[in-house]
This record gives sequence, structure tokens and C-alpha cells, in this order.
Amino acid sequence: MSNNLNFADVQGNILRGYGKQYVRHLVLTVANASAARRWLSEATSGDESAAPQITNAEPWTERRRTCVNVGITRDGLAAFGVPAASLNSFPHEFVAGMAARNTLLGDTGPSDPSKWKEEWKGDGVHLMISVYADDAQDRTATADRILAARGAFHLRAALDGDGFPGGVVHFGYRDSISQPQFYGVHDPDRRRDDQPFVEIGAMLLGHATPIENLRWEVPKPNVLGYNGCFNAFRVLEQQVVEFEAFLSECADALIKNPLSEVVLPPGEEAKWDPPMSRHAALREVVAAKMLGRWRNGVPLALSPITPSPQPAITDAGLNNYGYSSDPDGQRCPIGSHMRRSNPRDAKTVQRNTNHARRLVRRGIPYGPQYDPAHPVKAERGLLGSFMCASLTGQFEAIQYDWTNLGLQDPRITGSNDPILGNNDPLFSRFSFPVGDGMVKFRGFPHFVHTKGGAYLFQPSMSAIRHLATLSGGGTVNRR
Amino acid sequence: MVKGFFRSIWTFLQHLLERILIAFWRRAAPIKVAEPGYSTVLADNLQMHMNLVMPLADQTAVGRARAAQAIAANIDELFTGLNNVGTVHFARFDLIGGNLCMYSVFDGDFRAYIRDFICVFGSVFDSLLGLVADPPPSPSALNPEAFIDWIHRHDSFQIPRDLTSLFPEEKNLENLSRDLVLLLDEKPNVQLGRFSGYPGVSVAQIRHGAGLGW
Repeated sequence: MSNNLNFADVQGNILRGYGKQYVRHLVLTVANASAARRWLSEATSGDESAAPQITNAEPWTERRRTCVNVGITRDGLAAFGVPAASLNSFPHEFVAGMAARNTLLGDTGPSDPSKWKEEWKGDGVHLMISVYADDAQDRTATADRILAARGAFHLRAALDGDGFPGGVVHFGYRDSISQPQFYGVHDPDRRRDDQPFVEIGAMLLGHATPIENLRWEVPKPNVLGYNGCFNAFRVLEQQVVEFEAFLSECADALIKNPLSEVVLPPGEEAKWDPPMSRHAALREVVAAKMLGRWRNGVPLALSPITPSPQPAITDAGLNNYGYSSDPDGQRCPIGSHMRRSNPRDAKTVQRNTNHARRLVRRGIPYGPQYDPAHPVKAERGLLGSFMCASLTGQFEAIQYDWTNLGLQDPRITGSNDPILGNNDPLFSRFSFPVGDGMVKFRGFPHFVHTKGGAYLFQPSMSAIRHLATLSGGGTVNRR
Repeated sequence: MVKGFFRSIWTFLQHLLERILIAFWRRAAPIKVAEPGYSTVLADNLQMHMNLVMPLADQTAVGRARAAQAIAANIDELFTGLNNVGTVHFARFDLIGGNLCMYSVFDGDFRAYIRDFICVFGSVFDSLLGLVADPPPSPSALNPEAFIDWIHRHDSFQIPRDLTSLFPEEKNLENLSRDLVLLLDEKPNVQLGRFSGYPGVSVAQIRHGAGLGW
């Protein structure tokens, strides 16, 4: 299947990742609507000397040093002058905003919006301009040029994310291996695999979706909504010290459990690359069972007892698997983070949802990388963008039905995702089958705390130009 | 006969005074009602209720018979669709007065339920909605958000056990009766309570436990 997508009309970070190691997200309030609209006009003019240009999705002939993209909140659209009738044609969850959806998203307790960072509180978050660069100097230079836009914006916060070597994130896992592949979109940087292609309407409004005959409504006017995409941006603080301590506790318990000899045959750990002690290897087993992959990215579905299988799994192979041959989760636990959030070909309770809730994930770590030799507690986490055409149909459905409720399989219903879930030590549980037995862990905390975020709309390039032509709006909510 | 006449007059006056009082209350002390939300207790998000009350366009016996025939003609597709949604415990279709009603018990998020509902049997439901007064935009598959909003508006309001939680801004408990009158004036169809013989269990867990497949 192909599509007639005009790539020049779509923001570039939706359908592919840039592979940049340095990101700065500028969280902004519109300080002067006319100046802000002028910036939008200049940033889509094609004249790099006028303003850093918003990057579209046209294939590159040569690699760009920096890329820029824009997401706008409901309040931001109002500040740019979008009339109320048009705002009300946006989906209700976008209009309500992320903080208002906190219970559904599991943002309670330490993740409650009242505990978010100051820049995310109140109603002054209007837009986020993201700068992606190959080096830190280019990132700063481009961000500074945006902020120098003649009083257009008030800076609430500049959030820097710096990629770690090997594509790992905090908790030590290699990330961003699995992304949807879209019909008609050629991305030379993507690994090809046998996962089904996804209709472009899973990301962009106005196109066919993975659900037969279903299309998400395009907000009005069409020029504003068409080819747009929603982005659930989240600041996810990761409790790395607690996570690593939990792995040690689990290994302490598992090493005394006879099932450990089935889950990791004795001596197997000596064949790993690098070889490990039995205790250290069991920590890695638990980490892998919680996520669904070993920390080096090798999926349990393909290699359940070693992170270093022979022959080695190629990069292309890391995403080339399903769960239908592992119905009970003997290899990859049904409750693991990956299998919960993308059940692939596994049987699910909601029978039409397997490939219908796909998200594009763009994440980059922030804060210092954890050093196990010096386990210092520090603020660290992930700046994550979760993109989709329907926040409620994709992002919220995964977060609520699957991550926090485990509705997709009766064997995990009522339990939270062990890594991302809103876990309370009084009730948390994670288990995985080993032969006829079951290994169970209880009493673990919430390892990922939401510290901010917003529902953003990433308009098409035409829509950005349309916004630049509006009037009204104004100076609002300046802090 | 004279006694009956005076009773009618009295009832009329009583209703008139009530309308005046309600109108006065609504202006003088408007209520803010908290929509039932999601629970942080996982088990509370299972076995949710939907009580859909849809006034028929033609509420005569002929119109009601037409609705009954339409349900009968589509019942197999409706039940197959409900089975394929996967999260439905029970569902039934009733004619109550001039209303076509669909009552169901489902697991998880209301909007996800209705969206799955559109995906698996939206076209069948679209044909039924031709009988309903003020139907949603059709087809539902091309207007999913508008359809879900319409269903939400026609779903009976669910009154929780704790009445005070309905009125978060009410500081005086003595006003609760007045608040409830205003609420019921605004929302004619409400669910007053629900019971489950097996709380906190999903339909798939019941089917799995009973060996019925899920």
C-alpha cells in the first residue's frame, strides 16, 4: 500500500527519528502574539537567515546539523489567535490537557501534577520548540536564535537531553529499537523487520488508520488539522538507585529459588559476553524479564537465557519477533513492559487492538548517567515524546488499559507495568512463569515519576503558515 | 369530584412553585457537579456500567415496534460484535417508554470501550441510530469522537455512594438535598447504585477461570 503523503507538509520528527545526540526542548509562553506569529512565518519561509527553519519530513540529500520542530498546546493555539469554535473541534482530552487526565494516566502520588516542576504548572505552557543537534554548540546556537525572536516568547524552561553512548537510557537498557514502520514512508535509517506496516493515519490526521474504515476527525479548519499529529510529551524521572537496589533484592531471592536453575541453567552465566557472577547474572535476568529485552537490546522472545546468543542477532533482527509462539510468557513475560505496551501478535482481550495503538516514541535521557561503581542519587530521567493521531485511542489507551490495568490478558489484569506503572509497594506484583512454576516479586515502588508534561499538537507546515496569518490571541499568562 | 379538582390545582401549584424554586436555586446557588472519574484503585476500573437511553424519533407503538424489529434483525451481529469487543460482561437492549436503551457492563475506559464498539459493530449500530431522535453524525467510523461524545451524553449519570463527592465545592452538608434536586433537574436519567457478586474481576478473568476461553 502507498499513500499520497506530501512529506514537505509534515513535521520531520514524526515519521522518523533524526538520530541526534543533543536535544533542547524550549518550553515557552507566547509573550507577544504578533511577534510569535511572525516567528512562525519566518521559521517556515525557507530563509534560514530569517529564523531556524522548522524541519519537514522530506528525505534528506545530506545530513542536517540541526533540526527544529514545534508542538503547541490548546492554550498556545488560543494565544496564536485560533478561535474558540476551532479549539472546540480538537479532541476533548487535548483541550483538557495532560494534567487534567492524571488519574487515567497513573499520574498520582509522586507523579501528581501538584508535584510537577514549576514550568509545567498553571495554564501558561503554550508551545514547545525542540532543537535537535549533532553537537552541543549547534544546539545552543539554534536555541538562542529562537529565543532572540524579538519578544515573541517567554522562556519557562530549557530542557536538555543528551544521548548516551550505544543508545542506552537510564536503567541501562538500549532504547528506541522498536518503532512503527509506515506504508509509503522510506526511512533509510530504520531497521527493516517483519512487523506489519502501519497506516499513516496512526500518526497523521486525515489519513486511513490501522482500524478498518475508521478515521480520526480532523480539527477545523482542515488546513489547521490535516497532517497534524498529537504528541504526549512527558518528563519522566527515573529512580535508578531504587531500581538497581530492587534488582539486587530480586537476585538475592531468586538465587535461593530452585526455579532459578531453570530460568538460568547453572554455568550459563559464564558463557555470557562478558561472563558474570551468578548473582549479577540473575539481576540481569530480572531486569530483562521486567522489560522484555536484555539490557543490550536482545529480545527475550528470541534469546530467553542469554543476552549474548550465538550466532549474534543482527540489529535488523532485534525487532523481528512476535509472541504468538510464547502464549504463556515463558520467554517474555506477559506483564513485561514491552509486551504490555505492544503485544504484537499475542492474543489480547480487546481483539482488534494489537496493531491499532502504535505510538512513535522519541526519547532522550536527561541528567547524569548512573555509575554503578558510584551509585549517586541524582535527578535523571527521560524526556519522552509519544506521538499518535489519537491521544485517547492510542497513548491513553496504552497507558490506562494496558500499562496500569493490564486489561489485555486476564493473567495480568489488576497489575501495573513493573517499570513504568504507578506501583505502590503495598500492592505491586510482578511474576513470570518458569516451566510449571511461577517466580513472583512483590513490594516494589513506582520507579518512574512524571515530573511534567503537556499534550501538544504538532501542526503540519501548512497549518503553521496558517497560524502565522491569524490575528487576535495575545499576551497571556506571563509568569 | 370537587375534592379531585382542588387536588389537581394544588398539585399544579406545587409543581409551579417547585419550578420557581429550582430556577431560583439555579441562579442563586449554581452547583458544580464532579463527573465520575477514574479510580486509582485498579479493581474499581473493572465492571463499569453504561446505561444508554436513546429517545426514539417515533415514540408511538408503531415506532417502538419498528425499533424492536430492527434490534431483532441485527441481534446476531450485535452479539457477535459485543463478544469481539472482548471487555463486555453483559449487554442488553430494552424498550422503556419511548426510549431505546442499551445497558452494558464492561471493563476499563469508557471511551476505549465505545471506540472498540465502533470498530467491531459500528456499522450495525449506525443503522439502529436512524430510529433515534437527534442521532449522532454518521457513520460512526468517520466521526468516532463525535459518536463517543454523543454516547456519553446519552449515558445515564451515575450517582456514587458518597453523595458529597458529587459536589466538591459544597461546604454545607445541609445543602446536599438542594444540590441533588438541581442535579436531577439537569440529568433526568441516573443510575442510583450497582452491585457486583464478584467485584474487581474482569470478564476475561472470569472466562479464563471458567475455562471458556477469552
